[in-house]
This record gives sequence, structure tokens and C-alpha cells, in this order.
Amino acid sequence: MPVEPWVDTNKTIKLTLLVFGLGGLFLLYYLFNPSQSTFFLSCPIKMVTGYHCPGCGSQRAVYQLLHGHILAAFRLNPLMVLTLPLLVYGLGLTLYNYIFSTSHRISLFYNNAFIFGYFAIAILYWVLRNIPYAPFTFLAPTE
Amino acid sequence: MENLNQPQATPPDNHLVWAILSTVLCCLPLGIVSIIKSTKVKELWLQGDHAGAQKAANDAKKFAIWAAVAAAIVWVLYIILMVVGIAGGAMGGY
Repeated sequence: MPVEPWVDTNKTIKLTLLVFGLGGLFLLYYLFNPSQSTFFLSCPIKMVTGYHCPGCGSQRAVYQLLHGHILAAFRLNPLMVLTLPLLVYGLGLTLYNYIFSTSHRISLFYNNAFIFGYFAIAILYWVLRNIPYAPFTFLAPTE
Repeated sequence: MENLNQPQATPPDNHLVWAILSTVLCCLPLGIVSIIKSTKVKELWLQGDHAGAQKAANDAKKFAIWAAVAAAIVWVLYIILMVVGIAGGAMGGY
């Protein structure tokens, strides 16, 4: 039997914590620009190896996106910006399934061609954005 | 394409969204294991091996969690090293 979310105390507590957590993250990335603040941690891979990983630039890109600067965000991490709608949809559906005890699935996520294609692109992107010549430098985040 | 939304035909959640998230936020080796497990879920489900599909789904989730835990450990070590480094630098200044 599916339990209504407002009856299930455990679910209500978890969802309340989630709302506060997301609200906190929103404020953090809206109010502070990671390029100018010192308390944001940069990527450990970048710190240790000096190479950009596929995620480098994401925090700064999120700051730009929250201020409506889509091009600036795209310049910092194009793959992340392109993936974001898919992530929002996937995580949103996961949340929906959790709240309403449903089991909707995204058929794209069960398509092996998509899965291997996406991860091949991510690995290729990782290599290409570390090549220090144009046009590959456009894939690397600006300083 | 078969309808994945009917209750009887629904394969277990393969948690691929978490694998994508861990890839975009720092390509982690454990995330790749999670992806491989994710691809097995539907294959096994279509073969009628529902228990196997459920196990692959659970494994995908487990490795995605481990990827996150590994990332958290690296970050904590990194913060400790930074703090020690700053403290060491301050001590060395005198």
C-alpha cells in the first residue's frame, strides 16, 4: 500500500531536510561567486594533478546560471550545462517516485547506446579540455 | 519501445542519474563500476532474470554510494592537509 506523504513521518522529515539543504545550497551559490570567495573548495583532482576534470568549472557555472548568465556558464563547463536538464529531470523523477511511491522510469537511462555514448563523450571531453591549444581551450574553464 | 511505466513491466531503478552526477562532478572510477552495473539491469530484466536485475540495481546503487563516500574521504583529507599546511606555514613563518 502506498502511504500518503503527509502521513508518513519519516518521509516528511527527510523531505523537510532536503528542502532546507537545497535552499542552503541555492543561497550559497547565489550569494557567493566561487571565483572570488576563498571558502569554496576547488576540485581535488585539479589541485593534485593540475589537470581539469570533466566537472571543473561546475561551481562557478552554477553561480552564473543562478544569475541567468547562461553563456558565461557554458564557457566554464559546457558539458555540465548541457547535462543539467537531464540531471534535473532524472533527480526530479527520483524525488517524485519517492514522494508518491511510484516507479516511473526514463527509458533513455535504460538504453545502452545512450549510456556508453554519454560516458565516452565525458572521457573524450576530459582529454580534450586539457589540450592547451585553440579550439580545445574553449572547453577548459576560464581563470 | 516497450512501455516501462506499467507496474508489471517496470525494471528496478538502475540509479543511472547518480552515475551521471558523479561523472559530471569528478569522473570517479567507482562511478564507472556503477555505470556497468546499471547497464546490466535491463539486460537481465529482459532475459526474465528479475532477481539478477534487482541485484545489479542494488550493486549500481552501492557503487554510486561508495563513489560518493570515496569523494567525501578525499575532500576531508584535502581539508585536513590544507589546515595542517596553513598551520605549518604559519609556524614556519616565525
